Amino acid sequence: MSKAVLEDTTRCLGCRSCQVACKQANDLPAERTHLEKRRLGFQNPAALSAKTFTVVTNHEVEDPRAPAGLRWVFAKRSCMHCLEPACVSACPVTALHKETDGPVTYDSEKCLGCRYCVWACPFGVPTAEWDSLAPRIRKCTLCFDRLRDAAAPAELNGKAAPPEAQARMAEAQAKPACVAACPTGALMFGERDALLAEAHRRIAEHPERYVAHVYGEKEAGGTSLLYLAAVPFDRIGFRTDLGERSVPSHSVPAMSAVPPAVIAAGGLLAGIYFLSRRRAEVKAKQAAPAKDAPEAAVPQDRKE
Amino acid sequence: MHHEPVQAKLFTKWSIPLLALMLAGAAAFVARFAFGLGATTNLSNNYPWGLWIVFDLIWIALAGGAFVTAGIVYVFHGEKYHVLARPAVWMGLLSYSFVVVTLLADLGLPWHFWQLAVQMPEHSAMYEVSWCVGLYVTVLALEFAPTVFERFGWNRLRDIWRTWSPVYTVAALGLFTFLMSHQIWMAAVATVLFAVIAWLTRPSADRTGVPVILIIAAVTFSTMHQSSLGSLFLLMPDKLHPLWWSPFLSILFFLSAIASGIALVMLMDMTVSRVFRRPWNGEVLAGMGRILLGALVVYYAARIADVAARGQLAALSGRPGALFLIEVLGGGLVPVLLLSTDALRRKKAPLISAALLAMLGVMFHRVNVVLLGMRLPGTMPGGPTETYYPSLVEWLVSLSLVAAAIFFFGLGAKLLPILPRLEPTAERAAGASDAATRG
Repeated sequence: MSKAVLEDTTRCLGCRSCQVACKQANDLPAERTHLEKRRLGFQNPAALSAKTFTVVTNHEVEDPRAPAGLRWVFAKRSCMHCLEPACVSACPVTALHKETDGPVTYDSEKCLGCRYCVWACPFGVPTAEWDSLAPRIRKCTLCFDRLRDAAAPAELNGKAAPPEAQARMAEAQAKPACVAACPTGALMFGERDALLAEAHRRIAEHPERYVAHVYGEKEAGGTSLLYLAAVPFDRIGFRTDLGERSVPSHSVPAMSAVPPAVIAAGGLLAGIYFLSRRRAEVKAKQAAPAKDAPEAAVPQDRKE
Repeated sequence: MHHEPVQAKLFTKWSIPLLALMLAGAAAFVARFAFGLGATTNLSNNYPWGLWIVFDLIWIALAGGAFVTAGIVYVFHGEKYHVLARPAVWMGLLSYSFVVVTLLADLGLPWHFWQLAVQMPEHSAMYEVSWCVGLYVTVLALEFAPTVFERFGWNRLRDIWRTWSPVYTVAALGLFTFLMSHQIWMAAVATVLFAVIAWLTRPSADRTGVPVILIIAAVTFSTMHQSSLGSLFLLMPDKLHPLWWSPFLSILFFLSAIASGIALVMLMDMTVSRVFRRPWNGEVLAGMGRILLGALVVYYAARIADVAARGQLAALSGRPGALFLIEVLGGGLVPVLLLSTDALRRKKAPLISAALLAMLGVMFHRVNVVLLGMRLPGTMPGGPTETYYPSLVEWLVSLSLVAAAIFFFGLGAKLLPILPRLEPTAERAAGASDAATRG
């Protein structure tokens, strides 16, 4: 039971409804516009921040299959909600938490602001509120709060809502804001297994339309955001150097070794202590004249 | 071993720049909280950690001198090095305390620190380091306590300390094992083991001497957090260059902390001799030089073997390759050569240079791990990242804490019985033979 989002970038128009819906759902402030048209096209802002949890990237990619050899590709980027998140494994106070149904959530009441999560995330997702005196970490939470209490309002424009309207609203409410806002169906929300099956079905059905890869299926141990694309993923700003191993799996062995190491260190140090005390005693006995022997044999450490 | 405060003026011409720097640092510290991290530092989402973390990592590695020295003297029975024990512990206590102050500045929400006591994450290296450093500071304070009791003649407190500090230490080790394992039986094994050790190594019946369990706890806690500071970077295989990232980072951090700790204690003793016009501890320093030689050989052998085993030695190139070579040759090979013979270790210049280079080599390693060896992909969706250079506030906070450590180390040496009592010169020659009757 793990929820996920599948984005079929071939269906994305780059309308940025998801980006706007995300701002609204999370009540985030505006950013100052800095267009870098040569590098980023009409992407704005340039990167995620404490004010932006979702950004749509623009890519004009050379593709011989496309008309005139150029293809526009847009991708909605936000937290990948890894199956084994580096940020959660980094957090010393469980402020970041992987919910059993998929979302990686954050609780600012626990957070120390150490920013280890910002360093650890392979996707560069968590960001800090640098201009705040109490800087929280901010990131997409897959609208987990919406998913939890997805009750539709009983009233619509002051009148009792008809059942079909209620059902429609409840359905929209039970999705992350970005998915609910998507006008083309490029974004789909559902069970991760079902979405993976759907992604592979689309690739199999239209091999001419997609590269044969579902990004997020295995990257960094698998993520809850899954992507389909017409062009190789490294051409549209996705990291393809992460491998299939989850990030925390690198540190778990070292951290699991700590408690046995404490016990081993204690035993080893005690052993060294008694051995070296014995050696000091023997040495003192040999070195000292017979008369002084008993006194010299007193272990050296007993004298402060 | 008798200790006494150094007879010297509390404030000298050196105090003025140190105090000025401390004052500026205090102002910077206040500014950091008044205006926030973004306004006062050059930290960003690309560089969420900067100078302060580098300083902490370096400082903890150097302050490893406290546990190494205590271990040599009390666990390995290196009586010759007893003269270094109290100053090393005092240096360690100051260092760790000021590292915690740096962390307070660095944390965005430091007032939530108590959450560390109520949350139990599974495998967070940061959680391990926080608890381990916290408990180690208390052990350092307990190690240092008799110096204070002795100065003020608080014999009653000293007796309480002798009885109860082992109990506290065993409990701390048991608690730590539980927090890291979430296993009652594991904690029980640790508690019983350390309780037995504490009992077997208890101070003699005449109630003199240090409870050895304190030292064993100090070495154990140090082993754990020194290595876990390396484990922090295990989560960054995608960012840290393979010349530095290794699945054995924890072991490399631990081994390098031993080397740099010894080097720092040597430099500390050399500085003390010079500043307080005390005799050069040639015999002790030569012995420490030999131990440093061993520590360097072990660390750099492990370092090079690790890089070679991952096939990175053959692929050495570019700026990372150059940084690696500076580290290994300047911090490893040169000091090893300088310390290679007994005759060299008895000469001042090679010994000072070797200790200095050994320390700088490990410092450089930490800088490389946090900053120079990091390849940052940038905040999603990635792209070129701006370069990071620490701000004035960052420099002032860090440098002022170093100044504070130096100032308080001197002040402590002048007020408390930290340094060994100097015998009159004629007697000192005969000192060795009458060592057995002293104490």
